[in-house]
Amino acid sequence: MPPTLRCATSTSRCVRELCKASQSLRSFSTTPRCDQRTTRARRAMWRWLQQQGANLRDPLEGGTNYLGAYNKDGKLLRVMRAERNQESERAVEQSEPKNAERDPDAKQAGVKVPEETVSDRIPFPLNRNFISEPVLSENFREEIWYRIMKLGHSVREVSAELGVEMSRVGAVVRLKEVEFEWKRIGKPLVVPYANAVMSMLPKTDYNPEEKDPKRRRPHESINDLPVHASTAQQIFYPTSESREFSRADAAKVFNERLKPADDRIPHPQLVLQHREKFVERLTDQEIAERAREREAIAEKKQHRAAMIQLSKDAKTKKIESGRWEFRFTDANVDAAGKDGRGHKGVGWRYGVPHYDRNRGLIKIPKTVGA
Amino acid sequence: MTRKRFHGLKRVKFRMTWNKYNLYNLSRLTPTKKGVSTFFQQKWASKSATRAYHGEQIREKQWQRMFTSRLNAVIPMDYKYLAEHDGSEFAAGRGSGKDQDPSHRQRQPQQIPYMAMTYAPMERRLDVAIFRALFASSVRQARQFVTHGNAKVNGKKMPYPGYLLNPGDMFQVEPERVLFATGKEKPQSQIAEGRDLRKKKRAINVRRHETRKAARGAAAKKAANKPATAKAEKQSTMPQKLAGEDLFELEIRKQRRADMQELIKQVTSIMDNKKSAPGAKKKQELRAIVKDIRSTMASIKRKPLDELEASVADLVSRLSTTSGNHKPSPKKRSTSESESTAPPTDESSSLASAEKKMEKKVQKARNSLMIKRQNQVDESKPYATPWQPRDYMSAFAFIPRYLEVNQKICSAVYLRHPVARPGYGEVPTPFHPDQSQLAFNWYLRRR
Repeated sequence: MPPTLRCATSTSRCVRELCKASQSLRSFSTTPRCDQRTTRARRAMWRWLQQQGANLRDPLEGGTNYLGAYNKDGKLLRVMRAERNQESERAVEQSEPKNAERDPDAKQAGVKVPEETVSDRIPFPLNRNFISEPVLSENFREEIWYRIMKLGHSVREVSAELGVEMSRVGAVVRLKEVEFEWKRIGKPLVVPYANAVMSMLPKTDYNPEEKDPKRRRPHESINDLPVHASTAQQIFYPTSESREFSRADAAKVFNERLKPADDRIPHPQLVLQHREKFVERLTDQEIAERAREREAIAEKKQHRAAMIQLSKDAKTKKIESGRWEFRFTDANVDAAGKDGRGHKGVGWRYGVPHYDRNRGLIKIPKTVGA
Repeated sequence: MTRKRFHGLKRVKFRMTWNKYNLYNLSRLTPTKKGVSTFFQQKWASKSATRAYHGEQIREKQWQRMFTSRLNAVIPMDYKYLAEHDGSEFAAGRGSGKDQDPSHRQRQPQQIPYMAMTYAPMERRLDVAIFRALFASSVRQARQFVTHGNAKVNGKKMPYPGYLLNPGDMFQVEPERVLFATGKEKPQSQIAEGRDLRKKKRAINVRRHETRKAARGAAAKKAANKPATAKAEKQSTMPQKLAGEDLFELEIRKQRRADMQELIKQVTSIMDNKKSAPGAKKKQELRAIVKDIRSTMASIKRKPLDELEASVADLVSRLSTTSGNHKPSPKKRSTSESESTAPPTDESSSLASAEKKMEKKVQKARNSLMIKRQNQVDESKPYATPWQPRDYMSAFAFIPRYLEVNQKICSAVYLRHPVARPGYGEVPTPFHPDQSQLAFNWYLRRR
C-alpha cells in the first residue's frame, strides 16, 4: 500500500511550510513529501554542523583536527588555554602600569593556534585511553630504509638506535621496496593522497641534530614485555628471609618454563651490554670475549634449526606451477591403523567423518604465503 | 517493520564511518546510565552500543566465536633498570620493598585499560584493517573493496573480508578505489562532462565491436574452407607467451597500456589546441605517432617486455620532439634512486654503455609519463579531480600502532595484534571504559 499523503490535508501550517522548503528538486521522486520533512533532530544536526562541526570539515593547518581538541562550543581547547594564560599575564602587566599600546598586538598573537599536545590528539572524547599516536614521517622511513639496505645494518641495531619496533623496521623496508618497484615499472604513486593523510596525522620526524630532548623522544617503546597469562595470578610463596629472591626465581614460581623479563623483552642484548659495561665494569676485551661466546652459541642453535628444516624439506617433493606450489609427502596406508580410524590416516575412509565442512570451522584461508 | 536508519539521529549509534551524521552522533555519545537500570539492562545497552560500532557488518554469532576473554597487554621495560637490578629489591626491608622517601616518591604507574581491548579480535579482520589504514571511508566500503577483488594480501588477491590477518601480513588496496573512497564528491560540472565522455566512448566501443565481429566472421569462414592439417600446424606455431607469465609482468604491461593512453591524450590535446593550432606537417607527424601508439597497444600483450619498453620510450621521445615545447619534467630524485642507477663507468664496453643509455632513456620516459598521470583533471574518474580529501576526514584520521602504512602505494603491514599498555589501549574504540567493561561482561556470560 502506498504511504498516505497526510501532509497536504491534516498537518499544521508550520510543518506544511517545512515540507515546502525541503521539497525535492526531483519532481519524479516517489518518496512522499512528509518523509522528507525536516525534523527537529535534523535541524539540530545542521545547526551543529554549521557551528561546532564547521571546524572539523577541513583539516587544520599544521596539525591534527580531532573532536577531542574542541569544547562543547566548538572552540579549540588549546587556544582557550593560551588565551587564559595571556590574560593572566596581561593582568600582571596591567598591575604594573606599562605600555597600553601593545594590547592589540597581543590579541593578534592569541589568534595563532598553539602547538598541539597529547590531550589534543583524542579522536573519541569519551575514551581518553585512546590517543592518535604519531606515525613515522617520510624522511624517517627513508632513513630506516637507507640504514638497512644501503649501510647494511641489522634490523635489531636500527631498531635500538632509532627507537622503532623491530617489526615496524621490517615493514617500513618492505613497503619502501614495493614503492621503488612501482617507480621502476612506472606505476604512478598516490602522492596527493599521501600528502593529505600525512598532513592530518601526528608525525615523528627524523632529525638527529635536535637538541630539545622532548622532541627527540623515541618513536615508541622498543622493549615491551608481553604480559604472560601465568603471571596473571597472585601467588603466596613463602621463602627464607636470607634468600636473594630475584626476578628469575619469581618467574620459576609462576611457571616452571617461564623465563625472566630480561630474556623475554625484544632487545635482551641492551640489558647485557649495559650490565657488562656499567654494573660489572668489564674491560673491553672481556666484553668482546663474552659477545663471541654468545655468538657461537647462537650460531650453533641456528645451524641445528636449519638442519631440522632441511631434513623436513627433503621429505617433501615440491612442484612449482605458475600459480600453485604442489607439495607431495609420502603417505602410508597403514597409518590409518587396524580399524582404519587412526587420526593419521589419509584419504576418505568409510565411516570416518570429514570435518572440513562443519559449522563454525574456518573455511577461508587462514594464512597467505608471502 | 521498516529497517532502522544506519546513521539515525533518534537512537544515537556511532558507526565505523566518516559520515558527517556519524560525527554529530559522536559528539552526542554518552556513557551508559548506571543508577536507573539493572545490571542486565546496563550490559545489554553497552553491548548494543559497542556492537553497533565494532563489527556491525558481521553476525552476532560470528563475533561470539571470535571473542576471547584473554586480553593482550605489554609493559614497557627500561633496559637500564633491568641491568642494574635483579628484582630482589622488591623483597628488601621487611619483605615488601624498602620504604621510599615520600618526598621522592615516584608517580604511580597508570592502569592498563584492559577493557578497551574487548573488541581486539575484530581488528584482525581484513575489512576493519583496511578501514583503520584510512583506505576506505567506512567498514562496509572496505568490505565491498575486498569482495570486489580490489584488495590483496601478500600480493595475492583476497576476496574474503573475514580473513584474519596474521602478524607480518601486507595488504594492498587498488589506489583508484582508495582515491574514490577518500576523495571529495564530484561536482555537477564534472559529472556532466564525465557523462559525455562515457557516451563518446560507448559509441566508439560499439563501432569497434561491429568491425571486430565482422572480421571474426570472415576469418571463421576462411578457416572453415582450409584443410584441417593446416589448421593444426598453424596452432602449433602460435606463440604461447601468456602461459608462463607471472602476475608481475602483467602488471607492467597494464602500466604501459595506461602510459600509452596518456600519450594519446597528450596528442589529442595538442591537436585540439585552438590557441596555437599545429601546422599541417606537424599534424601529419602527430597522426603517424597516434597510429604507432595504436599498433603498439594492439600488441601490448604479445610483445616481449624489453621491446615494449623501448617502443614506449621511442614514442615519448618522438612526441616530445614533434610537440617542440617539451621541457624535461622537474624530477625530484630520492637518494635511493640516484644510487640504484649508478653512472656508467668509462671502462665498460660500448655495448654495455649503449644498453645502459637505452635503459636510462626508458626510465626517463617512464618517469615523465608517471608524473603526467598523477592528479590531473580527469572527468572519467568517480571522484572530484584534482583529488582532494573529503569533508570531515581529518576528524577520523588516525592510524593505530599495530599497522604500518605506506600511503603512496596504498599498502600497509599488520605488524602485530593490538595490545594494551599502561594508560593506553591500542584498539580504537569510542566508548567509555565502563561501557566497554559492561560489554565485555556480557560476552563473558556463556564462557
